[in-house]
Amino acid sequence: MFDWVHNHKRWMQLLLGLVALPFAFFGVESYQAAANLGVGVASVGDQKITEQEFAENLRQQQERLRRMLGGNFSQAMLDSPEMRSEMLEGMISQRLLTQYAVSSKLSVSDEQLRDVVASIPAFQVDGKFSKTQYESALRAEGYSPTVFENSIRRDLMMQQLSAALSESGTASKSVAQYIAEYRLQQREVAEYALNMKQFMAQIKPTAEAVQAYYGANSAQFQLPEQVRIEYVVLNGDALLAAEPVQADEIKKIYQDNLAKYGEAEQRQASHILIAYKQGASDGDKAKAREKANLLAEQVKKTPAIFTELAKKNSDDPGSASKGGDLGYFSRGMMVKAFEETAFGMKSGEIAGPIESDFGLHIIRLTGIKPGKVKSFDQVRPEIEAELKKQKSGRRFSEAAEAFSNMVYEQSDSLKPAAERFKLTIQQSGWATRASAPVVVLNNPKLLAALFSDDVIKNHRNTEAVEIAPGTLVSARALEHKAASQRPLDEVRAEVLKRLVDKEATMLARKQGAEKLAELNKGDATGISFGGAKMVSRDSTAGLRPEAAGRVFRADVTKLPAYVGVDLPDGYAIYRISKVVAGKAVDEAMQKNMQSELARLNGTQEFKAFLASLRAGAKIQINKDLLQKKQ
Amino acid sequence: MSTYDLEEQEQLAALRAWWKQYSGIVTVVLIGILLTLSAWQGWNWYQRNQAGQAASIYEQLQKAVRVNDIKASRDATGSILEQYPRTIYAPLAALLSAKIHYQAGDLKTARVQLQWAVDHAPSIQFKSIARLRLANVLVDDQAPEEAAKLLEEKAIDEYEALFSIARGDILLSQKKLQEARTAYKSALNSPAKLDSSMRELVQLKLDALGES
Repeated sequence: MFDWVHNHKRWMQLLLGLVALPFAFFGVESYQAAANLGVGVASVGDQKITEQEFAENLRQQQERLRRMLGGNFSQAMLDSPEMRSEMLEGMISQRLLTQYAVSSKLSVSDEQLRDVVASIPAFQVDGKFSKTQYESALRAEGYSPTVFENSIRRDLMMQQLSAALSESGTASKSVAQYIAEYRLQQREVAEYALNMKQFMAQIKPTAEAVQAYYGANSAQFQLPEQVRIEYVVLNGDALLAAEPVQADEIKKIYQDNLAKYGEAEQRQASHILIAYKQGASDGDKAKAREKANLLAEQVKKTPAIFTELAKKNSDDPGSASKGGDLGYFSRGMMVKAFEETAFGMKSGEIAGPIESDFGLHIIRLTGIKPGKVKSFDQVRPEIEAELKKQKSGRRFSEAAEAFSNMVYEQSDSLKPAAERFKLTIQQSGWATRASAPVVVLNNPKLLAALFSDDVIKNHRNTEAVEIAPGTLVSARALEHKAASQRPLDEVRAEVLKRLVDKEATMLARKQGAEKLAELNKGDATGISFGGAKMVSRDSTAGLRPEAAGRVFRADVTKLPAYVGVDLPDGYAIYRISKVVAGKAVDEAMQKNMQSELARLNGTQEFKAFLASLRAGAKIQINKDLLQKKQ
Repeated sequence: MSTYDLEEQEQLAALRAWWKQYSGIVTVVLIGILLTLSAWQGWNWYQRNQAGQAASIYEQLQKAVRVNDIKASRDATGSILEQYPRTIYAPLAALLSAKIHYQAGDLKTARVQLQWAVDHAPSIQFKSIARLRLANVLVDDQAPEEAAKLLEEKAIDEYEALFSIARGDILLSQKKLQEARTAYKSALNSPAKLDSSMRELVQLKLDALGES
């Protein structure tokens, strides 16, 4: 055999060359077709959406929702079967797009990729892309640069495709014009109303009719299930009432924080600043000192000229114009050297020059406001309130867990928990599933717990429900009434009223429809319309919403046009007597409308494109895995 | 290893005989397979290379569109359509460029570019989108009959609702109100899903036409 190989050396070389050829172009990796091992949540063509990918997406989505909703979310909002399906649909769409982009050889250049990666803030240091930061950030997330860059490349391809299709939508000018005109159009409308009240006198239901109505609508005459409750409320205030804040605690805080409750001493001064220029040499500084010494001598001799000299000579523009006055200040507001001197002077004294970072100051102290300390009685309420707040918060967090455990473990009574935390057991009137007569009980979660079998049938406590931050409630049922049918005799008046209303409304509508038919035939009599008014789609001038829609949907090729509308309390006929073009549609408005319509079209066309890809692809969804909780 | 047992020797002999007889054909088949594979890979490489070059011109087009430079966008589109007509970038460029020409009121160029996409786009999805857009331009260019002809045949399912809307728009421009109404209604009743904002728009058009 090897002889043969030897004899056909040329052939074999060619053969080996051919084997190597494909690898020369693409490297080995493209032969290791994305090995999607294991079961996936869904498969799209020959790719799988793995459980891990799905879980990761779900986690990110929940994180986004949580941030968006703040505290107002329930677990169901974060993880419902619908949400999962919807999310999976989104992931499938992305896969389809990516696959299409790859198979149609969309390409993303290295420069594009680089620009995108460099623009991600997480990879930047001081606003600039940093390679070290990039690598360490990726390592922290467990990605290799190749994997990460490939995923960015895929995203970019997908974006390229979706942007190219959805942002290039068009809409015709004539349609835009038509819609803009219609929206501004005004119609002159008058109303003729037939209220059911006018017809009530004509309705005399028989006893049988009442009985029949009651029978047919029995659900409306039911008493809902009700329960009477006893409950305990655990919050910081309740805990504090059992163990109030002591007077000596308040006193101690006052003494420990005297500085906080006082007002610091304030002083007023004026100064003349001889500033050092930037990068001043020793010689410059000596010159400045000479000048400062001279000025200091002058003002010390004749304090009256301080103001004038400050105006002329001070390099501090803010104060110079005010004769050097700096106003009142307390410790910590001025540079150190200045502060030390100013707080060591007597009123009216002149000192300096002293040196600070700014230069040389000659200072005159012009006023002293001595510090004050507020008396204990003045600040007591403030301290007490603060202390209560702190303590109640702390007590609550200490007690919350024990309380929850207690009402759960000793679930046949609220007494142990009440005694342990010195709470009062309170009782309420009747509550339904929808509402309770006491504010603290009016919480959907608590009410749901109250009407559970555990509470109603097994006579247990509800779990401790946090009805508001820092407030826990546990309740139990005292008495329970099942839903019951109210007997006809008890509700006869109510039944009668509803029946009359219904029939009168029907009669009003019937008569209205007849009148409308007469109007359309042109032989109506005895119909007097109310005052006519001009309405447009966007400003309906008090027209009822049920009517406004119909008025603007009316065919107005022939005028007057009549529209009959069923209203909750009867019927109304609207006469449209005039159609007036609104203010002229200007160029800008029409352009706006056109680009809005173009955007709508583009988006919809892109969605149709996606739907069509989906219809053509082989997609399988594993429903069990989709709904599996982690 | 000097002696094989008898059975092994026999097998070896059989193998030799087989190889002697079939070596030629096996080699030819093997070479054939490898040649095909190489050709396929080469074709892929060629396509990718073409796409890469088209992509860089397309990038220029995107930039031109962003700053609304009509001339530059026409030039870029022209070179893609001429040099790389078989890449995905050709229909994308035609769609994108047509849009800004249309916006700028150059209906003629928009028509040419969209018509190119209708004729040459690689997939029925792209063709359908190009048809819809060309129809809009034709309506504004006072050529409703041509527009109607473009949308005459039934669209693939996912596009049928959009085709109905576009047909309605054409009929509306021709003042064929009753037929326009029917077209819009069939769009709303189509099984293809429309966004709620699109449904509202169609309903608005129907309202404007008046109930009958």
